This record gives sequence, structure tokens and C-alpha cells, in this order.
Amino acid sequence: MVLYEIVGVFIYPGMAFLFGLAFLYEWIDRKFFARVQNRIGPLYTGRSGILQPVADFIKLLSKEDIVPASCERPVFSAIPIVYATLPLIALFVIPITGSALIAFEGDVIFLMFVSALITLTVFLAGWSSAGSFSRIGGIRSALQMLSYEIPFGLALIGPAISAHSLSLTKIAQWQAANSSWFLWLQPIGFAAVLISLLAELELVPFDIPEAETEIVAGWLTEYGGRRLALFRLGKDLELVVASTLVASLYLGGAQPLFFIPPVVILILKSIIVLLLISFVRAIFARFRIDQMTSGMWTYLLPLMIVQILLVQFGIGG
Amino acid sequence: MSYGSTIKVPFGPQHPALKEPEYFLFEVDGDIVVKVTPRIGYVHRGVEKAFEQETYLHNLYLAERICGICSHAHTTCYTQTVEGLIPLEVPPRAVYIRLIMAELERLHSHSLWVGIAAHEAGFDTLFMYLWRDREMIMDLMEEISGNRVTHAINTIGGVRRDITNEQANKIKKFMDRFEGNVKEYMKVLETEQTFLKRTKGVGILKPRDAISLCAVGPTLRASGIKSDVRADDPYLAYGEIPFNVITHDGCDVYARTIVRCEEMIESANIIRYALDHLPEGKIRVPPPRTIAPNESVGRVEAPRGELIHYARSNGTAKPERYKVRSPTLGNLASVCQTLIGAHVADIPMILAGIDPCFSCMDRMTITVKKA
Repeated sequence: MVLYEIVGVFIYPGMAFLFGLAFLYEWIDRKFFARVQNRIGPLYTGRSGILQPVADFIKLLSKEDIVPASCERPVFSAIPIVYATLPLIALFVIPITGSALIAFEGDVIFLMFVSALITLTVFLAGWSSAGSFSRIGGIRSALQMLSYEIPFGLALIGPAISAHSLSLTKIAQWQAANSSWFLWLQPIGFAAVLISLLAELELVPFDIPEAETEIVAGWLTEYGGRRLALFRLGKDLELVVASTLVASLYLGGAQPLFFIPPVVILILKSIIVLLLISFVRAIFARFRIDQMTSGMWTYLLPLMIVQILLVQFGIGG
Repeated sequence: MSYGSTIKVPFGPQHPALKEPEYFLFEVDGDIVVKVTPRIGYVHRGVEKAFEQETYLHNLYLAERICGICSHAHTTCYTQTVEGLIPLEVPPRAVYIRLIMAELERLHSHSLWVGIAAHEAGFDTLFMYLWRDREMIMDLMEEISGNRVTHAINTIGGVRRDITNEQANKIKKFMDRFEGNVKEYMKVLETEQTFLKRTKGVGILKPRDAISLCAVGPTLRASGIKSDVRADDPYLAYGEIPFNVITHDGCDVYARTIVRCEEMIESANIIRYALDHLPEGKIRVPPPRTIAPNESVGRVEAPRGELIHYARSNGTAKPERYKVRSPTLGNLASVCQTLIGAHVADIPMILAGIDPCFSCMDRMTITVKKA
């Protein structure tokens, strides 16, 4: 049984499988984004560029590590490892194969906690880098979290109320049992969770903390080499977290279809969410931080409150 | 909200927002800029001194390399100034070919700029589409002159290459397609809410300030002032070709974008008219080698604004003094004014709004430190 657990954590559906998914999702995102822009995207590494994210990761691991002289060394060195690990922890509670590696009542709250920790890590990364661009990037990231955190939490709670459970696995199974997805039962919640996830993943229109043209690379500016490789891995893992989370909560989760195993169905659904996120990334410009915070508090939060009220009154499962 | 102390944010000399190196020190209170201190001189190459060392014909190639994006504007102004020194009359066919290349260059420069403005706002998709169309203009210019930039098509006394009929038809066909594309992009720019939020009300330059701070080009015309060297002081064949001077009353970065987009459509019309009315004849006359003592000023409307060249000859084959005043130097004072009171996120938009070309403009600055 211990061997089973070890294989589960390290290989499938654990770390090796998740790293593979992360690199695959980065490739899909880059290729789709490029095609929308009338470009080609990665092409040469592997068939149609599918090994490009792996190549980038390996290349970054071999680069020189430059550390600014006035940074806080222990925090600066530890943050990339924490940033790459936290999404993995979040992925352990998401039911990718139909049942999660670790499932318990209160999953959803745990997931919100981990995502808040991720943003705190970003803030610390910017703060400990001791450069003006990094500091501004970190501050913007914390400010962004203040705006999307509540709508995000409410969007996760909506399905939990309907399914009478705070466990992601049970919410996914409720959708399968009742053959109705929260996509059409709680559409406002679906829109809100996508928008909040765009803000959490720091993608356009909310990539304000790393706005390339304003503050170089924001909180990522001073990181290079191995640390940057870990940050990019963390970003790709966050992409997997976001797409599988939406697929489990709103798109029915891992359900078997004829002879196709549930994990493949979940991956297909999460790829659809990923394509949606990439498409939104391509067609919008970037917001300014004050526009983003006022927009979230003026529009998104009241809409989510309306959604929760609707759920309480029985509409939406 | 004031925190009492300000953060100093340096922009440059290397920064993704600046395509060319200059240094701006911003003092930021929270998210609002309260003070700007520019320092220029990072690309000063001593071009004006270099002009005095070589003959007029050799200096033609130096003038071309003052800037890569507006190289034809610099050579047009140079040849105009030197032909005013001699004085020399250029054949009409050469005048029209110069005009067509100048308008093609305006097209490529403006589409470059609108792409950059979209990129600074985070709108990478529009950037890619515009630069794809710009590639087709570069291919056209390569076919006519042999180069994508620094076309070397001007010479003192005319032009070096002719436009054949097939090239003329190709240009006309492409103009139709390009105009259609630009109208599509204008529709996107006018309705895309995220882009409008980043550009409307950003970088307001009131008309009175625009005039008193010597703004030129689309920056001036976006504040509602009708001032265009092609209309006010017609050079080349602009006196014979009907066209509109595009202005907009917005005074912000959005107005500057719309002015440049509409100028692109206007340039397409000018090119089509010029190609239809291309006169026959030779394309160059030989200039003399030495020039009698004289003074001359040439003004052209470069894509970025009014470009002024001044030349003084002393009877030899080399100029005695040559001065270049680029449009970005005129716009620099106004941009420092508009940056005060802006958010940090607006800084790249406002800086890009004047279409800065620091390599054209650079001057040596002498900093005096008080003991």
C-alpha cells in the first residue's frame, strides 16, 4: 500500500504527471495565442514545438544565477521553491482522475487558502528583490489580490452550497449524479471564476503586476537562471490548477464517457477552459491597477452576491 | 492618498517602454507622478560635426542614417536644403517619386507606431496584425528602392531609381488592401473598451500648452490645431495634390492614435493620386561640386512632425555648418509637461504618444553641479 501511495504522489496522478500536464498546457497556450495573432508559435523543438516548454525549462536551469547585492538573500532564494510547490499542493486536492489524491471536507476553503498564499509569495518575491520595479510589481500584486479574492471565494462557494458539500470531489460527483453542470446552473459564477482566475494567474487583461512595458518584468525582474525556471514551472502549474478547477467545479469534472477513462475527459474539459483563457488573453489590452480594483469592486462583487442570493433561493441547483 | 515620501523610479536608459535610450527619473507619490527629470544625450553621435567633414554628396548618406524610421524624410529635407543652397531645380518626375516614397514612409512609420501603442497598452494581438501589414509595405519599399529602410533613393538633383508601371500598379493594389485593413483596425480601436480605458483622458495636452511648448506633428494636431508643413509651406508636389490635414479635439493619447490612423488613410489617397498623375521625364540633373556662399533652410513634414534642416555653404565642396532640428526635440518639452499627474501605468503610453525618435533628436547636455 505504501508503494501505491508513493507511486500516486510521485508519478501518477502526482508530480510527474502534473509536470507533464503543466508543460503540455504551456505549449497549448502558446500555440493558440500565436495562431490568434497570425503567428506560428513554437515549431522546431519536437513535433510542432511541443517540447519547447521543456527546452525552455532546461535552458533556464543552466543559466547563470545573478543575485542583486542588496536583496534579502534567504527570502529571495526560498521564494521560487515555495512558488513552484504551492500549486502542486493545490493540485493534490483537485479530482483529476475522478478522485483526488487528498480529499476531505473543506477542500474548497483549503484551495482558497493556497491561492492566497501564492499571491503572498508573489508579494514577498517583489519585496525581497529590493529593486524599485520589483517592489512596485509586488505591491500591485497584493493590491490585485485584495480585489479578486472575494469574488473568487464566492464563485467557489456557489457550487458548494448547491452540492451541500465543501469537498471538490463531492461537488464534481454531484454534477455527474444530477447530469447538470454548474455552467448553466450558475452562469454568473462561471464568468466570475474565469475573471478572478485571470487576475490570479496574472494574465492579460490583469497582468498588471508584470506589465512588461511599464515595470520591465515587475516582481520577476531580478530573478534569473534556476530561480526563474522554478517560477515558470509554478506559473504553468497554476495554469493547470485554474483549468482543472474550473473543469471540476463548473464543467462536470471527471466523468467517464462510454469507454473513455474519466481522467481524459477532465483533461479535455480543462483544455477547453485553457483555450478560453488564452483567447481572452489575446483579445484584450491591459487594465490599469486603479481601473482593475474599482471594476472588481463595482461590478464583479455585486454580481457574485446576486448569484449567491439566487442559489440561496433555490435557482441554480 | 499621500504617503509623505516619494519613490524614485528610473526609466532608462534601457527600458522596455523606450525603444531608444534616454533617461527619465520619475518621482512617484503612491501611483501618481509628481516630478519628471529627463536627461538626454545617450545616443548623441556628433552628426552635425560630421556633416562639416565631408562633401555634400557624401553627407547625403550620413543624413539618411540620422534615423532609421524617418530616413527618407531626412534625405528629402537634406536634398531640399542643399538644392536651395545651389539653387537647383529638380525634374517633376523626381519630385513625385520623392513624394510617393515619403508617403510610403509615413505609412510604415505610423503603422509601426500604432502597433507600439497597442503593445504598450498590453494589446499584443493588434501589434502583431499591424506589423504584419507593415511587412508588406517594407516589401514594397524594397522593390522600389532596394532597401527596407535607408532607401538611398534621393540624390542631390533628383532620385536614383525610377518607378516602373508594374511597380505602380502593385502599389495601387496594395493601397486598397491596406486602407481596408486600417479601417478595420480603427473600428477595433474605437470600440475596444480596455484600449479606450488606457488611452482616453491620458496625457492631456491642452491646445494653448501645445503651442507654447512647441509641440509638432500628430501630437499638435491631436490637440485640435491645424498645422502641417505639407499644407502650410508646400514642398515637393504637395501644392498640386489635394489632401486633408487631420486634426482631432481629444488632446489625449487616443486622439493621437486616431490622428495617425486617419493620416495613414490620407497617405494612401495621396499615393494613389500621385501614381495616377506621375509626370514623364528624366529623374535627375547633375549638381555642381562646389557651392557658392549661401544659407538655406528646408522644412518637411516627417512622420513625427516638422523637421528642419539648416545649411550654410562657403564656396567649397563641404558645408560650413549644418543643423538638424528633429520633431521629437520639439515634442520633448510637451511630454515632460503631460507626464506630471499621470499614473505610473500611463507613463509608457504618454512617452510613446509623441512617437519618440531619440536618435534623430539627441543633443549633448552639460550638467552643472552647484558646489
